[in-house]
Amino acid sequence: MVIIKRKQLTWMEKAYLPEVIRGLRITLGKMFQKPSTRQYPEDPLITTEVTRGQPRLVVNEDSTIRCVSCGLCEIACPAYAITIDGQETDRMIEREPEKFEIDFLRCILCGFCEEACPKEAIMMSDELELADTSRQGLIYGLDKLKRPVSALKKRIAYINKINDRWRTSSST
Amino acid sequence: MTKIILNGREIEADPTKPLIAACEGNGAAVPHYCYHAGLTPVGSCRICQVEVKEGERPGRVVVACRTPVSEGMVVNTESPAAHETRRECLEFLLKDHPLDCPICDKAGECTLQDVTYNEGQSEGLTKEPRDNFEKRKSLGDKIVLDQERCILCSRCVRFFDEITGKSQLAIVGLGSRSRIETFADRPLVGNYQGNITDICPVGALTLKSFRFKARVWNMTKKSSTCGECSRGCSVSVEVLRKGEVKRIRPRFNEDINKWWMCDTGRFALDGANPTNRVPALVRGYSGLEAADSDDAVAMARAAHAAVDKHVLIASPWVTVEEGEGLKALASSLNTEALFLSPAANDLKDDLLHTGDPCPNRRGLEELGFVGKSAEEAMELLAQAESATLFGERIAELIGLDNLKSLPSTVRTFVFDGSSGAGLLEAPALQAVVGIANWVERPGTWVNIDGERGKISAARTAPSGIRQPSSVIADLLHTSEVAR
Repeated sequence: MVIIKRKQLTWMEKAYLPEVIRGLRITLGKMFQKPSTRQYPEDPLITTEVTRGQPRLVVNEDSTIRCVSCGLCEIACPAYAITIDGQETDRMIEREPEKFEIDFLRCILCGFCEEACPKEAIMMSDELELADTSRQGLIYGLDKLKRPVSALKKRIAYINKINDRWRTSSST
Repeated sequence: MTKIILNGREIEADPTKPLIAACEGNGAAVPHYCYHAGLTPVGSCRICQVEVKEGERPGRVVVACRTPVSEGMVVNTESPAAHETRRECLEFLLKDHPLDCPICDKAGECTLQDVTYNEGQSEGLTKEPRDNFEKRKSLGDKIVLDQERCILCSRCVRFFDEITGKSQLAIVGLGSRSRIETFADRPLVGNYQGNITDICPVGALTLKSFRFKARVWNMTKKSSTCGECSRGCSVSVEVLRKGEVKRIRPRFNEDINKWWMCDTGRFALDGANPTNRVPALVRGYSGLEAADSDDAVAMARAAHAAVDKHVLIASPWVTVEEGEGLKALASSLNTEALFLSPAANDLKDDLLHTGDPCPNRRGLEELGFVGKSAEEAMELLAQAESATLFGERIAELIGLDNLKSLPSTVRTFVFDGSSGAGLLEAPALQAVVGIANWVERPGTWVNIDGERGKISAARTAPSGIRQPSSVIADLLHTSEVAR
């Protein structure tokens, strides 16, 4: 058996009202300080090139997709979120994805796909918002994943900067 | 047998085979591109360098595929000198080889890729630009050649020279301008073209039907047996993400097909991936309606018990195990066990194809089944009161028009792997039950020479489609109870 000794209240505390006034004074003081929270939907999140948002596929200026559907992101993905089917193209780069699906219910935004990609074709964008009314709606296909290279320019430059630390010289 | 010392271990080697075969067979694999056990060694790729010491002379580095085995030779496959020579050879092979592994279909099963990783050769010493050749050269209707990726191992050239006996490819041009071409740019012909894509050590020769369709590491491979003719070549069935069969490739079998298979079997993907499958169709008030397969089997059981004159015809794709069950069913129905034996086709050749489209003819005949042509089968069916047609492709082999012409007095039950909607108009049909096809069920076929070939389930059958063995067990059980 454990006997818990209660704290003995002082006379002032027993009087109750002075303590209420002390609490209200703190509340009143906070009203004039800068708020530490943000009004989220109206006041959007601050994102930088370091932000690891949802992965997106890069589309070149000539509107060709960079992805060659090599499948490296597919096997790098620890959550098995990516499914790719390839097809032949007439361009010099012979292959492009016919189907490229990322299941955002599975995606854990780890960025392994970006790291595995040999073509700088899949990039972690600064898009973080994800909501839908159906599960199927959260499986993004090519149409929802494509982004022009201009939208991901900062991230590509940042990733190149990081990769340069590991590269001694370029081999291709 | 000749005694040699391989990596410090004394082994016995076959003197009729080159040294590389002895190394391969004794757990000392040497990389090789131009050497293929089924073809004459030429020693053009130079990658199979090993260090060989004979007698008192100092060790020298030689190519293992062109060196005969001699008594007492001391072979070191992993010596630093051998590795250094291999690395130098590799550099020449990679000199004009494009770095498009992310695009190349061979990536993942490419030995050039593997050896490059193993030897740690990540950068070349040459700064010159790579030579440009034709990247998409069509060789007929089945194969595409990428001359840039080609390392001129000449396996494909030797395959046509030695295996099919009809030379079709050659290395033309000199030195760095050498490339593979067909004679006078004619398309490739013959029923064995697909093999050159298997033996190509890099991604230079690719199948048009498989090109860029799947990554090799996403496919599950299962050993099976080809069913397109009675030769029963050993194959490996490769399934993409447990769904569609994307590729059928030969599997080495010394007794039957060696390393090869014909294009008829290789491109038999439509048979392996049937569309339009139904678990079961049952005759209702408004014709055939979709139903549960248990109900359809129950209908067949009722019909077996109700009438006396039965006919049972199995498809030649039925396995030995299913054949035993059907044989028992036939005897319980007091009828002869028959199988449909279609006429020989004109695909017969000297190499593998037998021209007989019955993969399990011998197995069924050994069990006591009697082969009937489609016409003979129709005569028998017209006189019967109940007809049980069992096995993959049975409706197609009897002929959909034939089945439609059957009078409605013949209570016909079709147990088929692929059909469905095509049979809807046949008035005699009481029920159609979908069963697993040859890539979805295990079993045994006996080929024309009596070799037993195993088929196995490379993927699971779609929901509602039953295994033929369980359907037979159900049919058999009640036929016995009813009598």
